[in-house]
Amino acid sequence: MKYKINFILNNENVEHEVEANRTLLKVLREDFDLTGAKEGCGLGECGACTILVDGRPVNACMMLGIEADGKEILTIEGLSNGTKLDELQLSFVNNGALQCGYCTPGMIMSAKGLLKENATPTEDEVKEAISGNLCRCTGYKKIVEAIMEVVENNK
Amino acid sequence: MKNFEYFKPSTLKEASELLIKKGANAHILNGGTDLIIRMKEGITSPDVVVDIKGIKELHNIKFDEKEGLFVGACVVLNDMAHNQIVKEKYKVLSNAAKSVGSGQIRNKATMTGNICNASPLADTSTPLLALDAKVLVYGPNGEREIPINELFVWVRKVSLEHGEIVKGVRIPAYENIIGDFQKISRRKEVDLSTVASTVVKINDEIRIALASVAPTPIRARKAESFIKGKKLTDEVIEEAAKIAASEASPIEDVRASKEYRIEMIKIAVKRNLNAVRS
Repeated sequence: MKYKINFILNNENVEHEVEANRTLLKVLREDFDLTGAKEGCGLGECGACTILVDGRPVNACMMLGIEADGKEILTIEGLSNGTKLDELQLSFVNNGALQCGYCTPGMIMSAKGLLKENATPTEDEVKEAISGNLCRCTGYKKIVEAIMEVVENNK
Repeated sequence: MKNFEYFKPSTLKEASELLIKKGANAHILNGGTDLIIRMKEGITSPDVVVDIKGIKELHNIKFDEKEGLFVGACVVLNDMAHNQIVKEKYKVLSNAAKSVGSGQIRNKATMTGNICNASPLADTSTPLLALDAKVLVYGPNGEREIPINELFVWVRKVSLEHGEIVKGVRIPAYENIIGDFQKISRRKEVDLSTVASTVVKINDEIRIALASVAPTPIRARKAESFIKGKKLTDEVIEEAAKIAASEASPIEDVRASKEYRIEMIKIAVKRNLNAVRS
């Protein structure tokens, strides 16, 4: 059986039909071709599937698609404005804050969630905010630097 | 994940009736950070899922000088941990909530979910045990309150009947809580407790609660009565930590051996008692 849901996806109203047993991550990737959010562990430990739900970071692998009904969902694809990158995306590029890139969308969405709540976090707060995101290339230093550069630019 | 029927009722009555009508293989969905993983892994395969997040009153968090603090079943851990009253009056609960999972998990997971899973290592269970919290339950035969220590029956077993729904948790109002939460885990963030403990000092009474050391979270009552009437000297703390460890019956698992856990209980309780002594 399919259920009808309505939600805001990357700033646009969408109406969609989902089976109850599909995670939001699957729905985003398979039905909407939004493959920025990744399935790493599928258990809420790696953060590669991080998206914003009503402005707050959530693991899309631990949320049912049907739970998106009535919510505002933002994925990495919704961050840029056309070809104009978001300040965090730009800073990750400029600081070389990625190697394989697998964790990058999740890292950026966690950072985005933090900056929405607190535009001027300390370095420790940044580290805490991305502590639910694993990078296996161990590029944490540059990732933190990239986020801090955005923080400094906004001061 | 096996397919299931999904319902999102807007009242407790409707939710409870659905659970009863659909039978034993109907499951409550709250934050889902535990249930969805169990469904993916096929450990839990409900035919019917009843999402309780559509019930407005379960999203309340409120404080009253007489009644104390009420945290609704659907209040997510981050909202509870950062609530001004919780931070001021129940700091130890806020600290325990902040130690659960990651920021992403705390934006979905709830304290009620944490305790209803009845995992022996539930992080929020120790402050609730130490503060004598009550679990408010709605059921087909009316409402009832379960003292938190009577909620936990065994590993993943709680004293709730099918059709009963936890409305939230109430923590009594205390004039002044001096409390300390300790979590010993392999890594600081996004890890399960190897041992967790809370000590609170209310007036001159010391209460000690431990998790991940027995089939359910427990109060260390013998250690509490040993301390009663004594000044918290180094020697008393040392002995109380030993007694607390003797009250536990930990298992060996992927996170630690039994022996290591017993040593860590002593460390955690000593840190707790030192933090509240002055």
